[in-house]
Amino acid sequence: MPGEEGVWLFIGGDLILFTLLFAVFLHMRGEQLTVFTEGRAQLNQTWGLINTLLMLTSSWCVATAIQAARRHQVQVTVRCFGGALACGLGFWIVKCFEYSEKLSAGLTITTNDFFMLYFIYTGIHLVHVTIGMGVLTALIFYARSGDFGATKLRNLESGASFWHLVDLLWIVLFALLYLVGAP
Amino acid sequence: MRDLLLTRTTLIWVLLVGATLVSWELGHGVGFDSATSAGAAILIVTFVKVRFVVLDFMEIRGAPRWMRVIAEGWIVLCCALLIGLFLLAR
Amino acid sequence: MDKLSQYLARDVGIAKVLAYSGIALVISLIVAQGFLMGFIPPPSPSLSAEELAQIFIDRKIGIRIGTMIECIGFTFWGTWAISIVVCMRRMERGIPVLTYASIANAGGAWVFFLLMPITWAMIAFRPETMDPKFIQIMNDYVWFIFILSWPPFAVFMIFIATAIFRDHNVPTIYPRWVAFFNLWCAVLITPAALIEFVKTGPFAYDGLISFWFIYIVFFGWIVVMSFVTVKALNRVAAGAATTS
Repeated sequence: MPGEEGVWLFIGGDLILFTLLFAVFLHMRGEQLTVFTEGRAQLNQTWGLINTLLMLTSSWCVATAIQAARRHQVQVTVRCFGGALACGLGFWIVKCFEYSEKLSAGLTITTNDFFMLYFIYTGIHLVHVTIGMGVLTALIFYARSGDFGATKLRNLESGASFWHLVDLLWIVLFALLYLVGAP
Repeated sequence: MRDLLLTRTTLIWVLLVGATLVSWELGHGVGFDSATSAGAAILIVTFVKVRFVVLDFMEIRGAPRWMRVIAEGWIVLCCALLIGLFLLAR
Repeated sequence: MDKLSQYLARDVGIAKVLAYSGIALVISLIVAQGFLMGFIPPPSPSLSAEELAQIFIDRKIGIRIGTMIECIGFTFWGTWAISIVVCMRRMERGIPVLTYASIANAGGAWVFFLLMPITWAMIAFRPETMDPKFIQIMNDYVWFIFILSWPPFAVFMIFIATAIFRDHNVPTIYPRWVAFFNLWCAVLITPAALIEFVKTGPFAYDGLISFWFIYIVFFGWIVVMSFVTVKALNRVAAGAATTS
């Protein structure tokens, strides 16, 4: 098992919440098709795509870091976690641009149901990204001292799995908010 | 550097980026005439991506069988649920 | 069994009763708030003041009895929380920082819990002569106390998780998954913050997420922790018995 059981309980639980959130989104979309289609048209697709690529790349970094840790390559491990952290930071910056674009266009959480869900869902995801970045920072310090025994590897895997969850959630959010619906 | 890049991880990343571009095109009118079919296709591609992240990045492929069963089960059920809700939209 | 172990067994016995009081809290919630008051789920925040006032007038007997029960049932928040802190004390060495912080936390949260039935009881005291707008304000107030007060509870969950991760006992008093469970619950109740922004939909205080999901997580947390704490207390008694 990659990582320990407790972290999978956590991941599973988060997925239960998000599955619910995804279903709520599509249900509400079904009842207000015009609002949601128009809302989607106002989203910046480029930012969404860049964020997706950042997330995917950050996951590559984390997966590579774990491989390196298993081969006891301390420097590579630390640098890869650092790369993932940088991607997370990039994600945050893009989100800041995106949110300020929306806010200056007068679109807020109370504009309509589409934007309520857009801000809330991406907001909750951003909280996950922030927690993930904290975890990555902790993993960097943890990995620095080397000495990758079984417990250490397991803890690194646990942290890595959480980051992959963050990536996974964005993959679905990107599809639901940006891609799905009338082109 | 080379042995960092020539890995299965990189292959998975390439597949994920490719799938992202496919779903991007589908979301921008390429390939299907009806938005409904495009939407369903996007959701399927999305969960294919999710499956790669779960099996290869999260390493569930090599995890105990019960974990893999639950994971794949969730992927299928969630995908079906979301496609169902999407198609119900009038 | 020597004298020390005898005292410990009795102490742990009391702590176990306190741990089970969490279950009593949840039962009182379901009976009082669910059946007697009909406030599971809450009346919609988008109701007019007059409609809401009518609800209080119609249900005033149920509300009076229900709140009387809840005043007792919700008192068990403090007793239940302290049973966990007893275990926390055993998990810490040196200066028991998290224990102290948790005692303060539980005490503060106690006030929130009791304010809710007391306020409802006050509204149901003379609802016919009260200005409906006043009833609306006070009802919103109760729901905001109930749901918007989530941060101290999330912090308590984080304290518990941290204490478990740092537990020096072998085997640990709580199994490690309980730590992750607490972290998970802490993250899951954060959508409660959204009730102030919307009056309808899943994130309003009667909504699918900000009410139903969070209630199930939060009161489910109390029930789960009741059971695992009893087991942990057994481990505390057994562990001390072998070292004394």
